[in-house]
Amino acid sequence: MTASQRPWTAFYGPNVRPDIKAAPYRTIGEMIRAVSETYGKAPAFTACLPNGMNGTLSFEDVDRMSDAFAVYLREVAGLKAGDRVALQMPNGLGFPVAAFGVFKAGCVLVNVNPLYTADEMAKQFADAAPSALVIVDMFADKVPAATRGHPIPNIIVTRVAEFLPALPRGIVGLVQKHWDKSVKPVEVPHIRLPDAIAAGRSHQDAEKIEVDSYRQSVQPDDVAVLQYTGGTTGVAKGAMLTHANLLMNMTQTVELAQEFEKGKEVALTALPLYHVFAFSLNLLAFYWIGARNILVPNPRPLSSLKRAFENYKITWMSGVNTLFNGLTHEVWFTDSPPRHLKFASAGGMALQSSVAEEWERITGKPVLQGYGLTETSPVLTFEPLGKQRAGTIGVPLPETMVACLDDDGQEVPIGQSGEIAAKGPQVMAGYWQKPEETAQVMKNGWFLTGDIGVMDADGYFTIVDRKKDMVVVSGFNVYPNEIEDCLATHPGVLESAVIGVPDNATGEAVKAFVVKRDQSLTEADIRAHCKAHLTGYKVPKQVTFRSDLPKSNVGKILRKDLRAQELAQTAAE
Amino acid sequence: MVSPLEQAVLALMIFAIMLGMGASLTPRDFYLALRRPYGLIIGLVSQYGFMPFIGFMLATLLTVPDAIALGILIMSCMPGGTTSNIFTYFSKGNLALSVLMTVTSTVAGIVMIPLVLVIYASALDLDIPRENIIATLVLLLVPVGIGMVLRKINANVGAVTEFIGSVLGIVFILFLVVSWIPRNWQFLLETSSATYIAAIGIGAAGITIGYFFARALKLHPRNARTVALETGIQNGPLALAIIVFTFPEEEAAALTAVPVLYSLFIMFIATFVTLIFRRANTAAEQKLPDGLL
Repeated sequence: MTASQRPWTAFYGPNVRPDIKAAPYRTIGEMIRAVSETYGKAPAFTACLPNGMNGTLSFEDVDRMSDAFAVYLREVAGLKAGDRVALQMPNGLGFPVAAFGVFKAGCVLVNVNPLYTADEMAKQFADAAPSALVIVDMFADKVPAATRGHPIPNIIVTRVAEFLPALPRGIVGLVQKHWDKSVKPVEVPHIRLPDAIAAGRSHQDAEKIEVDSYRQSVQPDDVAVLQYTGGTTGVAKGAMLTHANLLMNMTQTVELAQEFEKGKEVALTALPLYHVFAFSLNLLAFYWIGARNILVPNPRPLSSLKRAFENYKITWMSGVNTLFNGLTHEVWFTDSPPRHLKFASAGGMALQSSVAEEWERITGKPVLQGYGLTETSPVLTFEPLGKQRAGTIGVPLPETMVACLDDDGQEVPIGQSGEIAAKGPQVMAGYWQKPEETAQVMKNGWFLTGDIGVMDADGYFTIVDRKKDMVVVSGFNVYPNEIEDCLATHPGVLESAVIGVPDNATGEAVKAFVVKRDQSLTEADIRAHCKAHLTGYKVPKQVTFRSDLPKSNVGKILRKDLRAQELAQTAAE
Repeated sequence: MVSPLEQAVLALMIFAIMLGMGASLTPRDFYLALRRPYGLIIGLVSQYGFMPFIGFMLATLLTVPDAIALGILIMSCMPGGTTSNIFTYFSKGNLALSVLMTVTSTVAGIVMIPLVLVIYASALDLDIPRENIIATLVLLLVPVGIGMVLRKINANVGAVTEFIGSVLGIVFILFLVVSWIPRNWQFLLETSSATYIAAIGIGAAGITIGYFFARALKLHPRNARTVALETGIQNGPLALAIIVFTFPEEEAAALTAVPVLYSLFIMFIATFVTLIFRRANTAAEQKLPDGLL
């Protein structure tokens, strides 16, 4: 790659290396070990609950506990290198311990959305075939239904207040059990995470096990994480992110930002860590730079973040448009905005210019927009600090080539739109056991994003449209096929089509067009049916009944015609 | 009426509760309430402007004996009580504003209570027991201060203190109601309906007028809810102390009827209002789409 092909390198900060040949570590396990030794007793993770109760693990603690968990996985649970371990929990101290343990054991981490319904979990489990599942107690009641037909041999149960000091942990436990009733009894044979760690530790001490030996066989190009994105056919599709993918993306992102001081940052993690954006940036990149990570289990209602902002000197946070927009409308936030913030990073969905402006007006610090996909570990582009341009997704990261291509795979001239394609060390190895799906997005060395964009003469990119039918609701991908499949199982539905429509709150929202079989079918019926089978963000926000749907001459439903009609209607209003 | 032991237990409970309330606050909360003092000013006007007037109207319109009428007047010109802070906390109002309002109205009470009574009861020579005023302030400010320091030192200690304080708060309210009714049963049966109306009316009208006054002056709904509770919830024990200190025993018994009844019914009214305010607070919360988690 030469500078002339990458006009954006002129907009990098003075110390940014445009080319990064190799990641600083071979594997994520190696990174965790090295970083833990550097920062030792400094706080690495603090879980902060809405009422301010909290617990902290130092780098040393996380290192030691994840070692023990790795030993548990390998010696007690009997897993081998390359076996999958599913992790299904909200942000909390159990997350880094379990995730890092999986990497140290040489196993593959599978992130699962804790709010998934049993149906959705079952699809993902069937595809990934995990040998172990670490799940939060609040959702463990879904396990029997989700594992029917393909049992998971090892179930490890954790909790929201895991590893908090005994008194707050006890109080949270009592409140969850007797007040919210959010914790139900776990019906399947299982072990608690602290017990698993204790078992691993006693094994480690008794047998004098060298945890480092587990990852000796692991290569940089081996899969580290299966990150699911849903699938065009409604079947779960796991992006294989290798150790090199994730370590490089972490290095590239930190390289472009340049603003971070090692060992000094305090990051607010309000986005869920099971989502690739927070996983890569907050969990891995900020661990690497020795930051203290403030983990918030659930940012809803937004007042749950109040104590985290009051009690910790947050220097950086990641978020999605929805979160930034919401915070700018909270009186407690606008009254006392974080004073130590350097800047914030937005991803997952388009950041509205009005939100970015309002945020900067209130906090005095910019929110920079980035762009990427699950398949690219995830970051491809980011706005460089001090040279941000509202409305753009910024410039490509170091060691990354991004271009807009026409239908023949040729680069379009500057200023013209084309499908955004990328090359770089962060591009996934492919979809797990789906060579055909992989071939569709990997062409001539490019990864095709499905987004239509424009590059200006300086190398800043702007998203203008999307090629795929996928809908992005507040940072989460929704595939119309999956929703239509679900609608088809309702006896009152003859046929349906699902598209994304612009939405002020979520960027895009799911809209379903339904042709009735049973004339008494109501919108509420449709919503209740979807709610029973799909996670909340996938449930259609709008439902319109029609007598027919636009179809091609071979009978294929034309979503693009519906979209065009919808846009014309919105424009007319 | 209340034995010294019970009084000590109640004081200890209030101390523990206010410790918990304090642990939910930061110095910045007070700074913000002081930086924009409209809330505080509106509260004071409400407290010493509207409340005595409500009392005066009730005393005039209802046909009650003079002693009861005087009881109504005294009750209505009391400063805000600590209980208002507890209810503000539970209604998710602006606790710092509530505490500041209690403090200012209590301090201002030294001047304002006699002044207001001069206006409405023409030169009534009341003995304001300063030690009670001081005790109220100490019982409020000392634990709030300690609570804030606890939180600053260790957020977990703060959060646990807050949790215990809030549980005690509920126990405290229940305890007052449960212990009050059986021992005053006879008194409840003998009291006239006009006295009931007055005792209930002071609190109910105070909360309602305080709320709409604050809203009319464009106070944020959360602050308006705080002003409402602060205005309607008076310092009942202070009224009792003033009466006992000022009047001979045979007169005092009749005079205390309204403050005693008020103290019971304000618990019901404030609990009811708190539930409404909590709902309003939840309804005003931003609806976040599912995508974020």
